[in-house]
Amino acid sequence: MSEHVLELRGVTKRFGGITACKDITFNVEKGQIMGLIGPNGAGKTTAFNLITGVYGLTEGAILLEGKAISGKRPDLIVRQGIARTFQNIRLFRNLSVLDNVIIALDCHETYLLGASFLRLPNVVKRERAVHEQALEYLAAVGLEDKAATRADAMPYGLQRKLEIARALALKPRLLLLDEPAAGMNPEESLDLARLIRTIHDQFGLTTLLIEHHMDVVMALCERIFVMNFGEKLAEGSAEEIQKDPDVLKAYLGEGFKRAQHTQS
Amino acid sequence: MFVQTLLTGLAIGGIYALMAVGYSLVFSILNFSNFAYGSIIMLGAYISYFSMVKLGLPIGVALALSILGAALLCYLNERLAYAPLRKRRASSLFFMISAMGTAIFLENLVYAIVGAHFYAFPEVFTKRNITFHGVSIGVLDVFAIAFSFAAIYALHYFLQKSRTGIAIRAASYDIQVCSLNGVNDKHLIGLVFCLAGGLAGISGTFLGMKYIVYPTMGWITNKAYIAAVIGGLGSLPGAVVGGILLGVTETFVSAYVSSVVRDVFSFSLLVLLLMVMPTGLFGRFLEEKV
Amino acid sequence: MWSYISGVISLGLIYVIATVGLAVFTGFTGLFSLGHAAFFAIGAYTAAILTYFYGFNFYVALAMGGAAGGLVGFLIGYPTLKAKLRTDYFAIATLGFGEAIRVLLENLPITQGARGLPGIRNETSLPVLMVVAFIVIWFAWNLIHSRHGRACIAIREDFVAAEMMGVNIFIGRLRSLVFSAFCAGLAGGLFAHYFCFIQPSMFTSYMSTQMTAAVVAGGMGSISGPVIATLIFIGIPEALRVANIWRLVAYGLLLVLIMIFRPQGLMGYRELSLDLVKGWYRRVWKGGRA
Repeated sequence: MSEHVLELRGVTKRFGGITACKDITFNVEKGQIMGLIGPNGAGKTTAFNLITGVYGLTEGAILLEGKAISGKRPDLIVRQGIARTFQNIRLFRNLSVLDNVIIALDCHETYLLGASFLRLPNVVKRERAVHEQALEYLAAVGLEDKAATRADAMPYGLQRKLEIARALALKPRLLLLDEPAAGMNPEESLDLARLIRTIHDQFGLTTLLIEHHMDVVMALCERIFVMNFGEKLAEGSAEEIQKDPDVLKAYLGEGFKRAQHTQS
Repeated sequence: MFVQTLLTGLAIGGIYALMAVGYSLVFSILNFSNFAYGSIIMLGAYISYFSMVKLGLPIGVALALSILGAALLCYLNERLAYAPLRKRRASSLFFMISAMGTAIFLENLVYAIVGAHFYAFPEVFTKRNITFHGVSIGVLDVFAIAFSFAAIYALHYFLQKSRTGIAIRAASYDIQVCSLNGVNDKHLIGLVFCLAGGLAGISGTFLGMKYIVYPTMGWITNKAYIAAVIGGLGSLPGAVVGGILLGVTETFVSAYVSSVVRDVFSFSLLVLLLMVMPTGLFGRFLEEKV
Repeated sequence: MWSYISGVISLGLIYVIATVGLAVFTGFTGLFSLGHAAFFAIGAYTAAILTYFYGFNFYVALAMGGAAGGLVGFLIGYPTLKAKLRTDYFAIATLGFGEAIRVLLENLPITQGARGLPGIRNETSLPVLMVVAFIVIWFAWNLIHSRHGRACIAIREDFVAAEMMGVNIFIGRLRSLVFSAFCAGLAGGLFAHYFCFIQPSMFTSYMSTQMTAAVVAGGMGSISGPVIATLIFIGIPEALRVANIWRLVAYGLLLVLIMIFRPQGLMGYRELSLDLVKGWYRRVWKGGRA
């Protein structure tokens, strides 16, 4: 039996009168790349926010490697091994590309506040080590020559790569990617898909991916979970989902089905 | 004694309500605490004072000048100190610094040019008190309450019935969607600041008449912030209720405990409310713009 | 002549010590405070009372003054930061606490109220100030270039993203507050033993404003920037014999202008360094790019 890295059981989130997520249940196996797709407003980013602890659950449970993480503070959940990128890029804009990654690496450092104030030798050693490691992570996404650039001075596509490098530097067991290919043209998206595949294998990750670019989803995802109006619409392998009539209806509307009928 | 304290509390509560509404108008549209609002109130007081004393104008004209002057200054404040930041989508910290800078600039400009004297308004309403059943209330206070509520009612009517008013209410929910629907958001924001400035002119004048006119009198707007929180951030009726409640409870604390503790009480109430019940009585708690 | 210059430098260094702390709080962590003068006052009174009434050693009293500032910072910070107040309401809450401290200082018997404490020993000399300033700047620099300091910077840049990087927002902000309160307290103790007389009215919003203006003008995200700005703010008006009032007018205007035209202040997010100076030299004299 493969282990479930992530389990969502009956996850429900209500905001006042609105039910953003209703009774969502799925598992992500270790080493899998799973896709989370659905029309806009389906509740996908809400699901991410629930997993990372930004929102509290109304009902249900979320488990990371068998341990419940629902109800914990977001920064503690991150430390347990989840990293996430944002739909609207949230880089530390005034800082350099390298500093963005260094802050992620700081997460696993343990030297004390007093040691920081006095700049003890172990601090100096760790600072240097973290600096080197950060450069390695930048190299993994191809940004090592931009290390000193301001984060917001980079073109959009490279900013997205930096988001990914930063998430990698957290040394996660589970990587949540929220529309990493948003705003990219088909060529860039496939490039990104290749990068995601490479780092997924290189760093031994488990990945959950929200995406609207179907070519990226189909190229990467072994399993796909489809949401609509906060509820589960379908679940299955990439081939199954491509052929599922409910999924097609949700994305393309009734007209598509009628068009299909008239064609065949 | 109880009724007397209550009446006194209502009088100051009316003025707090007025300030709180002016503050909440801007807050509900832009999700921004205008720290410079107090200095506009102060300038409103100075305008009506000098209109009466230097120009010999009657109180009605002086009040009108104060309303117009304060509205103009508030509008200029927005155009010069905040609009450029909005265009740049600056973070809320920058707005706060700009607002603080404006407040400090205006207060000390008045200090430097006009001087630190405390100015007492000439007697407009005689110091006569209206007495009934053993409690008395000053004629000035009666006028202040009446005028404040008239102004608030007029504003309410405008917001409910006029097209512009409806646009303003829509903008308080989502100004972006509003502009997508054809509302010129720059004009709208300018108008809102003018309205807030007008209210500042009235409250400044009555504060000046009730107490005294001096450069740092604008700090009383802290009470407006507290009133807005009590009533609920983003809610105009809440601001009115909050203002009155604050005025009354403060006066009771001042009368029954000690006047020194009064301001400490108000701030403690603020912090307590924000920790325990941030939505206040009627508010939608607005998340800080990130 | 030298004693005059050394006096100006001494006063400058006292404020540098407090401003460096505020730079960490506002410039690096992105929190706005309207009442840091309160921590300054607490440090001043604690140190002065210990040396004057209890004959403590100056350096011990100084450390206790700093500790007192830090402790009050912790007590104030814990509830307000835990409640995740919006930045503007947090600033208003700090104002309230400043008010509460002032009321306390004016009414406790040991502080001798509004009359103040005269006759404090003169212990603060220029060498002492230079050593303390150096140590504080060194601590601040070390903090910023460590994981703890970077966590604060992340909080300033984007606290949502910072949380997703494993940063505990509450602890990061609290640490910043306590450090800045400690620095202000330390500076206060030095202040008391320099002027040898303190009273509550010396620790007003004028002081808080000047410190904030120096942080903003010097550049948020820099330590050397606020240090330079503080020295300029103290030095130039002294040289030009400008009255306090006009200084404040200038600070207010400066804050607004900086926010609009050069929000990164003098140093931007960088420190004074040899590379930077060489870059300026090249740009100014050779017309080349830095």
